[in-house]
Amino acid sequence: MAVLVFPGTNSEDETLRAVRAVGLDGALVHWSSPEVLAQFDAFILPGGFAYEDRVRSGAVAAHDALIDPVIEAAQAGKFVLGICNGAQILAEAGLVPGTGPLRHPTAAFAPNASGRFQSVHVHVKLAVAPERIPILAGIAPGAVIPAWASHGDGRLAAPTDELERIERDGHCAFVYCDRDGNPVPAPNGAALDCAALVNRAGNVLAIMPHPERDAWTFNHNDASRDAARGDTQAMLAPSGGIRLFEHFARALRGGVPA
Amino acid sequence: MHRTATLVDDTVALGRRLGVALSAEEMQRIAEHLGRVPTATELFAFDAQWSEHCSYKSSREHLKKLPTEGPTVLLGVGEDAGIVRLGEWNGETYGIVVAHESHNHPSQVVPFEGAATGIGGIVRDVLCMGAEVIGVADPLRFGRLENEHCRYVAQSVVDGIAAYGNAIGVPNVGGDVFFDESFDENVLVNVVALGLVKAQDIIHSRAPQGSAGWDIVLVGKATDRSGFGGASFSSLTLNEDDADQNKGAVQVPDPFLKNVIMRASYAVFAELRANGITAGFKDLGAGGLAGCSAELCAAGGMGAEVELERVSTAQRDLPPEVIAIGETQERLCWIVPPSFTPTLLSIYNDMYSLPRIARGACAAVIGKVTGSGRYVARHHGETVMDVDLEFLTGGIRYERPYVLPAPAEESDADRERVSAAALAWNPTSLFERLKLVLSHRDVCSRASIYRRYDGVVRGCTAIPPGFADAGVLVPVPGAPLGVAVGLGGNPRYGKIDPGRAAELAVVEAIASVIAVGATPVGLTDCLNFGDPTIPDQMGAFVAAVEGLATSAGALGVPFVSGNVSLYNRSSSGNHVAPSPIVGCVGAIADISRTTTGTFKRAGSWIVALTTTDSFGASVFAEIAKLDARGLPGIDYETFKESCAIVQEALAGDLVLAVRDISDGGVLGAVAEMAFGDDGRTIGVELFDGFGTGKFESGRLFAEGAGFVLEVGGHAEMDAFFLLCEEHGVYPDQIGMTTNGERLVYRHNESQNCDEIESISIAELREAWEAPLRDFYGRQ
Repeated sequence: MAVLVFPGTNSEDETLRAVRAVGLDGALVHWSSPEVLAQFDAFILPGGFAYEDRVRSGAVAAHDALIDPVIEAAQAGKFVLGICNGAQILAEAGLVPGTGPLRHPTAAFAPNASGRFQSVHVHVKLAVAPERIPILAGIAPGAVIPAWASHGDGRLAAPTDELERIERDGHCAFVYCDRDGNPVPAPNGAALDCAALVNRAGNVLAIMPHPERDAWTFNHNDASRDAARGDTQAMLAPSGGIRLFEHFARALRGGVPA
Repeated sequence: MHRTATLVDDTVALGRRLGVALSAEEMQRIAEHLGRVPTATELFAFDAQWSEHCSYKSSREHLKKLPTEGPTVLLGVGEDAGIVRLGEWNGETYGIVVAHESHNHPSQVVPFEGAATGIGGIVRDVLCMGAEVIGVADPLRFGRLENEHCRYVAQSVVDGIAAYGNAIGVPNVGGDVFFDESFDENVLVNVVALGLVKAQDIIHSRAPQGSAGWDIVLVGKATDRSGFGGASFSSLTLNEDDADQNKGAVQVPDPFLKNVIMRASYAVFAELRANGITAGFKDLGAGGLAGCSAELCAAGGMGAEVELERVSTAQRDLPPEVIAIGETQERLCWIVPPSFTPTLLSIYNDMYSLPRIARGACAAVIGKVTGSGRYVARHHGETVMDVDLEFLTGGIRYERPYVLPAPAEESDADRERVSAAALAWNPTSLFERLKLVLSHRDVCSRASIYRRYDGVVRGCTAIPPGFADAGVLVPVPGAPLGVAVGLGGNPRYGKIDPGRAAELAVVEAIASVIAVGATPVGLTDCLNFGDPTIPDQMGAFVAAVEGLATSAGALGVPFVSGNVSLYNRSSSGNHVAPSPIVGCVGAIADISRTTTGTFKRAGSWIVALTTTDSFGASVFAEIAKLDARGLPGIDYETFKESCAIVQEALAGDLVLAVRDISDGGVLGAVAEMAFGDDGRTIGVELFDGFGTGKFESGRLFAEGAGFVLEVGGHAEMDAFFLLCEEHGVYPDQIGMTTNGERLVYRHNESQNCDEIESISIAELREAWEAPLRDFYGRQ
């Protein structure tokens, strides 16, 4: 399991921590050594501002040598998860929704409706049938996951017919919701209130909010942290956003629960 | 004699021609010391090193009064940042690096770049201690938003902080913002940065012992003309006519390159540890390459020989003085043994491929450490600088004449008069008054600002901005250790009484980390004042330093780092409100014991500790136009006991939420506790537990040292009262939390419970959120 680091990536350490917390054997792979990627069977593209997000968010990284083995692996059915900037890179690479040719994006994560970077706590809800998304093996229908939407360019945008296709063919994997799973408008103004895109085969997932930033009990600013008050082990335990990584790990184990 | 006169005249003439800020007396000292007319490079080097910014020439004498020692100090004042003890984990002692910096002048001239490079500079100060940078917090002081230029500055500063901090991946976990007309022409942009380092891995900003012959390695961005003269610029009075010229003195930020340099430096730290090598590391700030390498070598009692043509430059034919003194951003300087140099260069240049990241960026050997005690710089073989290091960096001292401000005393008669006026000021209901207070520019919600900052990158954030008075991080993966950072400093107080304002700044910073269950372990200050050559302004500074010393001494928390920013005045003669701004770092031994400042459940008691009667400089006094002259008094013994009560109550699970009392007073704190952003809707029922008339008199809006607490159920309340009794502090019961969505006020709970007033929490919240949301936009 490789966590890719482009120049400008900034969320690699917490992403690797989350990966290791769910029992995966992960390693950081830097842009200066793309050749080692061949040894890995799954990939995570973490958050940040790869190549300064020049041109468009994720656009330069989507043409970097580091992404070539990832594209090959994705096409071979291996699991690829992009979070935030990683999601933008996957969209720019044409891997999600994956309805057009490579590196000719059919949908993009465009500047937020506010025109600004914003960092807000959100919940996202699975919007497709669990069997539609093998990269998250064992996820329950309508599962709700907490995360932080911390981005400037997270608004899903596409031509009308492409949005129809995204909706119809189940490419919108997660939508924004409240803590009880009731739908809420996307904080960034995303079309379909969509928080994540998945490709047709369900092995490539691009999610804008960061589950790894709300992945430990001490991260939760709600009643679930209060419940752990005074219990050091519980406070330091993985929970909340870690569930996304648990399902990802289960997928890598061929669907076998931990 | 004649020869000396000519020498001095020639030097002063050169200085004037070059436009340095050195005084004629200073240039005379330099000329007489050198026995010759200095070169341009030398004169610029002295200009930077002897600037207020680098030398603390007006302030150093007074700063000695601050308490700087204690068992929590791992590294005290003296290097780029101080280090306090966080705690032990797995047999290792962890320290928190604390640095505090201002970028006031640059942010007034080019607000976006000025604020961004402010973050960039402070991050390097922390990095160069061998630490991972784990968080920043920004105290900001803006002018009035009615003024168009102030609006532009207030927008652009926030944009600049967001652009830089977000990109480098350091969470912004706190800050405060005040608006005042004294900042119309002189914005204050301060920044506190925190780092994590094991005690045994601290890297010092000095050439190690016996390092003669070691390499001096410059890392980072290609040197250009940007930021030339920055140090002396920041020590000048801003003049509107020079605005364009001054823009050249501001550095250009490159957070993208910084992101990579930070990560590469972490890799270097790991290599140094693995090989047991001691090195010197320092960031390039004011005074550029010469300033940094000179201070490194001077601190180690060594000397330096630098070949300026080896410096990677962005433009051809840069004159030597620009290469030596220019303040191009994103650069750091290492001193390493030659055996380690290839590894160092390879990490930056190959593994992290700096030359691919930005044109001309690299790590390169630019000189050698010597044992000579002299700083020698050559440019293509020509010596352009040859000075005694001690003379250059030992700096100069001024004993500025000063006039201490008269302390703002408030007599009992004054207090009674003001109380009567407060009682008389009753245009509307209690809750209408509360709405006015909550929508005041210094009280209203800051969410529209902090939501532009990434407060959660790195995944270590326990309490991001908005949930409590202090931000809390859990920086060591797997360990229960937490670090809190809180701020204090109120310009409304500073205008009335700089000394007391400084005391209250310390108290507020400490109270804010106490409120999240942390133990204060270190303080850091940024002292923003006017022109020190004016005795009143210097007097305000001196009074503030004495105030800091009094407060920190009484409360037993040492200062470990700080910064002084003087000359915060505009050409029209306006000085900023005396602004001693204080940050406090708190250590948390067990993160499961921390709490936020928002109500957790219905049926809890709401209790206030150590409320004061003083309205002086309060938000309420301004709204009600009360002629209140004194500032809140501080009873340090009572405050210490109150802090102990909060700590013990948290440890004993008696308390669910805590806020310190600041702008908006007790009732402002209660309202913010009800505005929890965590999915709970909790109402409040207030009753007049203060005794008769306290609400009516508006005393719930008085500000001063203290806390508001949510105390669990009846059993917890009994235990809490016992605890208070043990500490000799008498708490005020001011209400209960309810299942409703309203704030309700009953005259006296023990009587007929006639409901007097009620308002929806949502309506209060709207009053609190609207002002800055309307300015900065909904996030």
